[in-house]
Parts: sequence; structure tokens; C-alpha cells
Amino acid sequence: MSRSRLPAAAVVPAIIPAITLAVVLLATAGAVRADDYVAVRGVYYREASTRVVQPMVELERDSPTGVDVGAHFLIDAITSASAAAGTAIDNVFTETRSEAGLSLRKRWARSEISVGYKYSAESDYWSHSVGLGGSKTFWGNTAMLRLALGRNFDTMTSRGRTPDCAIGVGNVNCPLDVWFAGLSYTQVLSPVSIAQLSFDSAYLDGFQGNLYRQVPGKGYEVLPYGVDTVDGKTVMTDKGQRLRMAVTARAGYVVRDTGTGFQLNYRYYWDTFPGTAATTYDPWGVRAHTLEARVFQPLGPELELRVLGRIYIQNRGAAFWCDTIANPSCYAPGANYYSSDPKLGPMNTQYLEAKIYWHAEALRTVSFLRWFSAGTFELSYGRYSQSTSFGGPAQDRPWWCLITCVIQAGYTMPY
Amino acid sequence: MRNTVGRLRLLLGLSMGLAAAGAVGCAHKPPVAPWQREALTRRALRFDADPQEDRFRQHWFGAREGADLGFGQPGGGCGCN
Repeated sequence: MSRSRLPAAAVVPAIIPAITLAVVLLATAGAVRADDYVAVRGVYYREASTRVVQPMVELERDSPTGVDVGAHFLIDAITSASAAAGTAIDNVFTETRSEAGLSLRKRWARSEISVGYKYSAESDYWSHSVGLGGSKTFWGNTAMLRLALGRNFDTMTSRGRTPDCAIGVGNVNCPLDVWFAGLSYTQVLSPVSIAQLSFDSAYLDGFQGNLYRQVPGKGYEVLPYGVDTVDGKTVMTDKGQRLRMAVTARAGYVVRDTGTGFQLNYRYYWDTFPGTAATTYDPWGVRAHTLEARVFQPLGPELELRVLGRIYIQNRGAAFWCDTIANPSCYAPGANYYSSDPKLGPMNTQYLEAKIYWHAEALRTVSFLRWFSAGTFELSYGRYSQSTSFGGPAQDRPWWCLITCVIQAGYTMPY
Repeated sequence: MRNTVGRLRLLLGLSMGLAAAGAVGCAHKPPVAPWQREALTRRALRFDADPQEDRFRQHWFGAREGADLGFGQPGGGCGCN
């Protein structure tokens, strides 16, 4: 496996626009309002064969008329030892993805409506997302119902190496359309407890695989697509379809005397093929449980510690999937769909993280640094354990990152 | 497909039950008075307290795990499937 580092040439151009945007926004800030803020954030993600550096800036400006504007800009600088993780291919490449988003929200006393747009671009993948959301509070502002709708329009190309977007179609640009709908209900249960139940659903229509990932003896991967009948014959269509659904339950509780807070989240995920597949069985059928617990502990008036533990159990993988790492020839010669993507099989992950929030009031008396005293700094360190080949072997790692690790730092300032 | 229809019916039933429960609940006094809400601003009681973190997590977990959703609108970039 090649050892890879993010070249400075890739990272520096990524950081400069984010810092510039933050400085410009701060410099043009007008009258202070309670909810106006600028957030600057950076993420470093390191696993066996992939490094990600993500600088980001976000701002929100709320107007007294109830019209709020938000914007964000981020860059993902990704260096990977393999373009097709999970296979034996061993190339080092660096990819940069830029993302910019804009949102508009109109608030009333007990309700709000928001619209948003997001654009993401990298050398072989472009995406436009639009979203519409609304919420309404009732029962003395202790309950809230929220509805969100969205559409994604994605396009991929693969620098001349692309497989067909689906068998039987000679496209070089692969489209993916996504319809999203989410509904959530939040209820304050007592002065120190709250609960939420939500349902999210996304319908995907188009190419959903990786443009470069190959399957031993098969070539480029082919994910489930639809079939149609033409002149009495069954033909493949370019419809790669998937209906993804998740229900999530969340609860929070605070111990009044110590200020200790607890948050428990559970998510159940399932997906299905929503049309006529080439197989007699549903080729999807992924099932997964996610359990996450968070404990918040104030360590003084300006400091708070958060400890997070998360367990993800994908007890059922996609029905068409087989483990090509354990057995490279596990797909039958006439298999309709095949992929070596390790995350489509049974798998599990664990994540443990500690995070510190520091409201920098103490900087008020320090020259120059007092500019930052109104804001909050955040710093977190997490370790992510993966049962798949993404986790890689535990060798050639620094002492501070023996398995996949994630470091996040941020600063949020009202203005 | 039959399973999907059954599940959608179940979800519809649950949603209607939730709406009915909400309507009945509105006839009663709210569980928390306005002057009792100080603790509700704590991070543990705000499920959207870290929106930038959520955005990164959605992207990260979507690229490394077979499941998605639960963080708002998914996808929107990255050919790292």
C-alpha cells in the first residue's frame, strides 16, 4: 500500500478561499443581532488509505423582519491510496471537492419556511441540490412538526474510463436523480427532557456506484438496475433504482443539579428496489441499526465536555452482494449485478469521541485575542473502528492514530 | 414490493396516530410553562446544536456505511460511493 500525504499544493488553495470569505464577512458585519454568526471549521480524517482535510466557513444573518440568510462554503481535499477502495488497485490520487450553499428562511411567531440550494463540484462529479422545508410549533411551543422536501441532480463522468451508467446504455455522463422527504415530530416532555421521532425517505434513480471500482473477473461494478419488456423480450434499462428509508428516535435529558446532559439516538435503516429488477428477489435489502449516546458535562461556566459513543450494525447487506475479498470469484458467471464495495455487505463500525466546547470569555482581557472572546471554540478527537477493508491493517500508523481517527476544530462567533 | 406497501401503510397509520395524539394533547395544558424553559437551551436538549458537524458526519458515514439518512437531505456530491 502506498503511503500518501496531502500535498501542500492541494491544501493551501483549499484553505485560502474559506479564510478569505470569513474575513470579508467579518469585515462587512453590521449591527449585532443575537443569532447572527460566523463559523469557521476544519476537519482532518485519516484512515488506512485515505486522508481528508476539510476547511469550511458558514455564516447566518438574521433580520428583524424575520427573513434570515445563511451561506456556507467548504472544500474537501481527499488523498487516497486507491481510487477503488476494497480492491487490489493501488494508485495514489488527490481529489478536491468544493461545495457552496445558500439558504433563505422566513420566520413567523410559530412557524417558518425555508428554501436552500447547494452546489458541489469535483473533477468527475457535479451536484445541484434544492430543498424546501417548513415547521410549525404548537401546544404552547412545546411541540414541533417539521417537513422537508428535496431534490438532487447529480452528474458524473469518469475521464474516459467510465463503464456504461448501466448495461445497455452507452452514456459517458451518468446522471443520478434523488427525491427526498423527511418528517419529524419533536416534543418537550418536561423542563429537562425532550424527545423526537423522525422518518426520512430518499428515492434514487440513476447511477449509484463508484465509477472506478472493479470486480475481479467482471470489470466495472454494476449495481441494481431495472428491466423492461420490449417486443416480448426482457431488456435492461438505465434505471438504477433504490428506495432508502430510516426512522430515528432521539431523547435528551439534563440532570438539574449537576448540569449533566444525556442524549440517546437510535436509527433503523432499510432499503428496497422499488421497481422490476433483473433478479427474482429484491437485490437491495440492506438493514442497519445505529445507536448513539452522548454525555455532556459542564466543567465550569465556560467549558463543557461531550463524550460520544456510536455503534453501527449493518446486520444484512444487499442481497446481490458477495464478498470478493474473501472469495474473488464468488459472483456467478451470469450475475446481473456485482460490486466489490465493502459497505454493501454485512459490516459494523464503532466510533468514540471526546469534544470540548470553550466559550472564550477569558480572552476578554487579552490584547488582540479579545476579539475572539464573544465566540466559542470547539475541539474534538475521535477514533473510528471499521470491520471493512476501509479500516485497513493496523500497521504503519502514528501513535495518535492507530486506527481511523477524526480531528475536528472550529470557532463560532456571533457578530 | 408487498412488504414495501405494508410498511408504507404502517408508517401512514403511525403518522395519523401521531397527529391524533397531537390533536388530543393540544386540549391539555402544555407540559412546560414559558418560565421553565431555561434548561431547554442546553446542548443535550437541542438535536440540531451542531449543524456543521452534522453536515460532515452525513458525508462521512454515507461514504463508509451502507445506510444513509437521519441528518436531513442526503447526498449532493462526492463520487466516493
